[in-house]
Amino acid sequence: MARDCDIRLTLPASAENVVLVRHVLGALAEALRMPPEAVSDIKLAVTEACTNVVRHAYAGVGGGSLDVIAEPEPDCLTVVVSDHGCGLEPITAGDGGGLGLPLIAALSDRLEIESGPHRGSRLRMFFASAADRFQPA
Amino acid sequence: MTDTADPLSSGGDTRLAVASGPLVGPVLRRVVGMLAARADLPLDRLDDAVLVADVVAARAAAYAPETVQVHLHPGERTLWLRVGPLDVGGAEALLSETAPDVGSIIRKLADEVHVDAEGSSGEYLRVCVAYDG
Repeated sequence: MARDCDIRLTLPASAENVVLVRHVLGALAEALRMPPEAVSDIKLAVTEACTNVVRHAYAGVGGGSLDVIAEPEPDCLTVVVSDHGCGLEPITAGDGGGLGLPLIAALSDRLEIESGPHRGSRLRMFFASAADRFQPA
Repeated sequence: MTDTADPLSSGGDTRLAVASGPLVGPVLRRVVGMLAARADLPLDRLDDAVLVADVVAARAAAYAPETVQVHLHPGERTLWLRVGPLDVGGAEALLSETAPDVGSIIRKLADEVHVDAEGSSGEYLRVCVAYDG
């Protein structure tokens, strides 16, 4: 396989694997010597993104895969969480959801969302490096 | 919105690909540790699986210049790792990693070891760490 990313993890979209992805991204961020606050933000944002996949992407289908790509760069860490499911749907009142994407947007420095009916979804999260993120005012 | 067909439409396997370099170790050992725990391996066998991962992380990059790929399959008190594709000789090189008074680290720790040659795509090392107690 030609190198197309730095780290790629493909696994079944199940709740137990959300924990696995969280731990792996945490280990990666620590290996990159990111500060603890940034590591926490990354872990929480990725957990939310993966939870969305597990809860919504394959509803009624019975399961599918969760794909996580991490691309460390000198000035930022990019994390892409994608699936092959039904795509993002508008949140309806009373379904208990709706906070995940705003939370991810708040925790990341930039968020890009691609989605289409039956084409799956892709969340691309950018986390600035420590120097950019925690420069004193 | 993905570019290819679902690679894991069935089965419960995990696939990891890490660009050859310093991140292979921290990422692979974490994945292996978690899947070994999920497979309900006892602590000593979990440590053994992580040691196998450390050997793979330390040596595989020389035989997988672009990306180290590991396919993991946790079962009932078993964890299978399939490392590759590797350049020819890569699997034996991993198996030849030794420690004093131990010999081949992977052969010592694993319950099963197989080397699969798959034509032009390279070769694969399959390792099983299990607990039958």
